Amino acid sequence: MSQPNAVVSPAPNLLVETSHDLPLVSVTVALRMGALEDPPEGEGSVRLLGRLMRRSAGGRSAEQNDALVEGIGAALGADVTQSTVSFQGSVITRSLDRFGEFLVDALARPALPEDELMRLKRETLAELTETLDDDRSLARRWFRKRLFAGHPYGRSAAGTKAGVEHATIDTLRGLYRRLVVPENLVIALAGDVTTERAERFASELAAALKPGAALADRTPEPSMRPGRHLVLVDKPERTQTQIIVGGLGSHPSDPDHFALSVANTAFGGTFTARLMQEVRVKRGWSYGAYSSLPYDRRRQAFSMWTFPKAADAAACLALELDMLEKLRAKGLTKSELAWSKRYLVRSHAFAVDTAAKRVGLKLDTALYDLPPGYYENYTETLRAVTLEQANGALRERLSDENLLVTLVGTESVVGDGVRAAIQRLAGSEVVRYDAE
Amino acid sequence: MASNRAQRLAQLNANVPAWGAVTHVETAPFGNRLKIERFRLKNGLEILACEDRSAPVVAYHTWFRVGSRHERVGKTGLAHLFEHLMFNEVEGRASGEFDRLLEEAGAESNASTWLDWTQYNIAIPKDKLGLVIGLEAERMSKLVLREPQVTSEKEVVANERRFRVDDDVEGAVSELLWATAFDKHAYRWPTIGWMADIEGFTTGDCADFYRTYYAPNNATVIVVGDYAESALLEKLAHAYGAIAPSMLPVEDYQAEPPQTAERRREVKKPTPTEKLAIGYHAPALGDFDHLGLSLLVDVLFGGRASRMHQSLVRKQELAADVRASVGPFRDPGLFEIFASAREGHHAEELLAAIDRELLRAREEPVTEEEIERARARTELGLIAGLETAEGKASTIGFYETVLGRPAAAFERLDAVRRLGPSDLLRAARRYFADSARSIVLVRAELAGSAQKAAE
Repeated sequence: MSQPNAVVSPAPNLLVETSHDLPLVSVTVALRMGALEDPPEGEGSVRLLGRLMRRSAGGRSAEQNDALVEGIGAALGADVTQSTVSFQGSVITRSLDRFGEFLVDALARPALPEDELMRLKRETLAELTETLDDDRSLARRWFRKRLFAGHPYGRSAAGTKAGVEHATIDTLRGLYRRLVVPENLVIALAGDVTTERAERFASELAAALKPGAALADRTPEPSMRPGRHLVLVDKPERTQTQIIVGGLGSHPSDPDHFALSVANTAFGGTFTARLMQEVRVKRGWSYGAYSSLPYDRRRQAFSMWTFPKAADAAACLALELDMLEKLRAKGLTKSELAWSKRYLVRSHAFAVDTAAKRVGLKLDTALYDLPPGYYENYTETLRAVTLEQANGALRERLSDENLLVTLVGTESVVGDGVRAAIQRLAGSEVVRYDAE
Repeated sequence: MASNRAQRLAQLNANVPAWGAVTHVETAPFGNRLKIERFRLKNGLEILACEDRSAPVVAYHTWFRVGSRHERVGKTGLAHLFEHLMFNEVEGRASGEFDRLLEEAGAESNASTWLDWTQYNIAIPKDKLGLVIGLEAERMSKLVLREPQVTSEKEVVANERRFRVDDDVEGAVSELLWATAFDKHAYRWPTIGWMADIEGFTTGDCADFYRTYYAPNNATVIVVGDYAESALLEKLAHAYGAIAPSMLPVEDYQAEPPQTAERRREVKKPTPTEKLAIGYHAPALGDFDHLGLSLLVDVLFGGRASRMHQSLVRKQELAADVRASVGPFRDPGLFEIFASAREGHHAEELLAAIDRELLRAREEPVTEEEIERARARTELGLIAGLETAEGKASTIGFYETVLGRPAAAFERLDAVRRLGPSDLLRAARRYFADSARSIVLVRAELAGSAQKAAE
């Protein structure tokens, strides 16, 4: 992160990374709040708002706006997570001014027409139906839904059919007024753009918006349901199963956050990590076998992901559970720790090898309230992790008793086997693949 | 510069292994800022070096001119299985040491196989470039193939096939479409291979494949990033200079006979909505028509402003999704359309709506505004793909391997700027022929299940 041309502008909430290597500018205008603001019965409303803003920018029709953006050599998407909305785009340098004007139109002058919302809702409902074809996506959705049951993180940022149907234009306009205010914005530009040009864009955008109040994230910390639980998502004719096993994970402010990241990398973060070696290399059971430890403003999940064929599902699941137990009980070896640290420190070069990636880390820092120096001191902090810290973090943060297993497969084929594979199973449910 | 290089190469060549003598072949521009230096070793290994100091990293690619087109009936999927095996074990090193050393050095590595080629890519902080060169040269000539690893890797590939094809509606439909559209050419079987073939491979099959195709005279090394040319060439010459070239087999090429009648297949899949796939025979990547057809397909299918999206998704609300692509292959491939119906609509409705737009494209020229938009999308796509050293190496390796011209991406962009409505109209009339298309209609076994669940 210590790039010589990195600039944090004096203008508030503006991040700039200049590189004139290519005639390309990446532009992100992000809101520091996302689907957490969805109304209780309107799951997916904020995502609808983001898409409707793009479609109705400047009071033009969606057709006109699509033609405008694509015609100038730009691409723009509205990406919604629980904690953020990101209007994320890229543009050929010669069209930066016009793209900037479009973004100001989308952020500050969206018409938000009701007829376009109705059309967007129908499109979104069709897209939600299509996601039923994607077993991995189904597994992820049910894992989060049950892991964070009763917590806002358990709700789907993409929305549910009921939530989308429930959304009204008045709800979306109200959300717009609260969310899209200068105080809630973070702007990031990278690539073939000067700091002065970026500041001008930020000023124009801020001037066009009505002032408001920065939204505070009042989401409570999630808690874990005790015991081992299974959610089997029943889908016909599956030759394979998608398995996600996990529980609560890490928080960027945890004193052992980096220690746990090092431990997770050794366990399931790379091709030569334990999980891949045992599941894929030694047994050939799954094409992929990884564990992950993402961050957000509140504690996120730790999870393992594999996808063995139906006949291997129970054995693969049993192996994963056994590996997790051993990981907690015995910890990493000294050589695993050293290897993991070296990998993380050295591969960080690929997190900062383009201006867009460098500004992306700064954006994450601003959006997710990362502790001061999180990325500035990233490699030094990793180097300082000790074996005692890494193994302590595994015992403290991960649980092999309070676990959620989510599996997408054909229940009549794999159900009995996977239930038997989970010792001390406290609860089990079967849900239809198309249930909400 | 040229004479300096000649002097340096003369000094280098005085002290290299038998097959390691380096020749500088040409310098070619790669966009406005960079250039590609082409070198060749005595054993036939092509080296394309592109110095780019925008980050302290290097992308190192090895592209072999072997893909699933070089397989035969009963042995489909061998090129892809072999790609997996290339990560296992080399002489003098423990199994798995290859990946271990690379990851410890901070590398990102992967590989892929397609119809015409197999490529291995490693991105690494610049101070460890020497490690990569050594490891890649080792596995080009000293791979160890043992029964347990082959057996285990066959199971991994079978699982990959279940993931990408058997349990994936679109993957299964695409496979069926190509098998329907091609009778003779080797493009008719999938790169991942038929399941029975995957299960039947022996260690001997793999060893034969390795000896036949993994040779320096069948490969190109692409190096992009922050390196010093002299040191790079010295390392390459010494690492690869001991590897002798192979006698490459003559490909048993089978020309695809012209398709004279539409072919239709209908399948049932566990999906909630009907799908449609259409494949028209399309020109090879090197054919001038490929540009015109690609630009036309972008006008029709590319982005939300495209005709098909506007018609099928927005106006008629028949489809949840519609997209298309023209295959970028050495021989004529397919212009492939995929559409997914909304609930309550049928694949035939999608077909009728698509046909109306294709007919329109055959009957009247597209507008200049539409072409300009497609040009802009093409330019953005190219530039965005060049942000990283890895992206540049992929672009160079792909065009070098398929067309023999590493900077062809920029040539195509220049050519696209010169194309006009006449070129696109010609492409439509030449390639949108009903008699030369294949269609797969997917019936939804789970249609209406969402409503039933709610009830």
